[in-house]
Amino acid sequence: MTLSLANVSARYGKLTALADVSLEVPAGARVAVFGHNGAGKTTLLKCAVGALPDMQGEVRFGGERVEPGAVYRNTRHGIGFVPQGHNVFKSLDVERNLTIAGLLHDAGYVSEVYSLFPILKDRRAQLAGSLSGGQQQMLALGMALMTQPKMLLLDEPMSGLAPVIVENVFESLVKINRSTGTAIVIVEQNVKATLPSVERAVILKAGRLVWDGSSDELAKKEDLWAWF
Amino acid sequence: MEYIYSVLILIGINIIMASSFNLIIGYGGLISIAHPIFFALAGYCSAIVSMKFGVPIPLAIVLGTLFSTVLSVALSLPSLRVSGDYLLIASIGFQLGFVEVIKNIEAAGAASGLTGIPALYSGPLRSPAFVVTILAVAALVVWLVHRMTHGDYGRAIQAMRDDEECFTSLGRNATAIKVAIFAVGSGVAGLAGALYAHYSQFLSPEQFGIIQSGLILTMVVVGGMGTTWGPVVGALLLTALPQAITFVNLPTAIMAPLQGMIYTGLVLLFLFVRPQGLMAKKVRQ
Repeated sequence: MTLSLANVSARYGKLTALADVSLEVPAGARVAVFGHNGAGKTTLLKCAVGALPDMQGEVRFGGERVEPGAVYRNTRHGIGFVPQGHNVFKSLDVERNLTIAGLLHDAGYVSEVYSLFPILKDRRAQLAGSLSGGQQQMLALGMALMTQPKMLLLDEPMSGLAPVIVENVFESLVKINRSTGTAIVIVEQNVKATLPSVERAVILKAGRLVWDGSSDELAKKEDLWAWF
Repeated sequence: MEYIYSVLILIGINIIMASSFNLIIGYGGLISIAHPIFFALAGYCSAIVSMKFGVPIPLAIVLGTLFSTVLSVALSLPSLRVSGDYLLIASIGFQLGFVEVIKNIEAAGAASGLTGIPALYSGPLRSPAFVVTILAVAALVVWLVHRMTHGDYGRAIQAMRDDEECFTSLGRNATAIKVAIFAVGSGVAGLAGALYAHYSQFLSPEQFGIIQSGLILTMVVVGGMGTTWGPVVGALLLTALPQAITFVNLPTAIMAPLQGMIYTGLVLLFLFVRPQGLMAKKVRQ
């Protein structure tokens, strides 16, 4: 299923967060979205999932219109969204987090998630709030997978994680992409750590899309930082 | 004996009110102070349709309950689509406004109150029949709240309260769950109000002021928010305590402020010493 954003703009009051951005993410792709703080990365993901009721332009997923202001309805069509910071239910244990995530789908999919993240099985009776940052991130990914999405939108999932954990989470993402065919769109600040795990990168600057190409091409650029 | 019956009925009514308010505030995390108003709305509706239109009392009670439920949806839907904070603001306006409206409606008895409401039961067994009815409804409400807040739906409510953004991102409609919780809680308060109207046979706007909201909140806080038995214990304690004080021979001028001071003191005491209430949930690590 292809995600298509056509001439999407969004504003917060007088501030333009996203200006006339068009982007296509085909099924099974791994795409990174880079940019400084305030470049519009999170806003782009929010528009893609319909979290901004006042956005302009059109977003379609698998040909269906993504309805602005109805995240819950859009995610049911196969878009898995992992927002930054708000991604696990801290007062519930690991298994309950996963089963709640799968209530509308197949709660039996838990075993698949456990095979992907064995540490979650070991910690299944532990409260999510007491897991380490990396484990919480794995749980968040597991919860998103419980909805059996066709595409995962991840907002800075590596924020605050130790480098070794970041590596593990990236490995997991590639594994998910290859084993299930789920497309991945990841918003990240850490360009160097992200590039090896994606095939394509886009750069946003002051709400505009200024670069869109292969991750290898971007990695080879001598003047990489000049794009930011 | 009649005194014992009246205390038991009051306990039953307060258990219904505290349990339904606990569903809204304790489980749903929705802050509203208009709970007694839904009690009043159903009470007045049931009383008026039975008095003015001759509707049989059981049907009038059902109509009153539905009236409260529908109005609670009308109040909560626009507020909760924006943010939970708006519900609090809307509920304050609703609470204060409704009391003033009632004071000016002749058909509802205006400020002096509505008298002559037909009783649900009559005859020598009237009071024990009321006791059995109210306590049975109270038990049913405690069971209903327990069923709603445990199992899959209960876990969804807990998850929604824990992190609404995360909940929505998993394809769940948080607004629908919040409106449903508010409607069920307010409808149950309405059922209590309609039963009370046909027991006391008198309703007055003064019975549903902001003080009543505080009293129900105290029952929930003292008993334990977000627990099945907390509101039951809170309702028992805070209904029995003022009755016990009446046995101490104090002048009326002291009695009323003393009760208010006890409620306020209890809330402050519990907030500082035992914020989880008497029937605290087990905290797992």
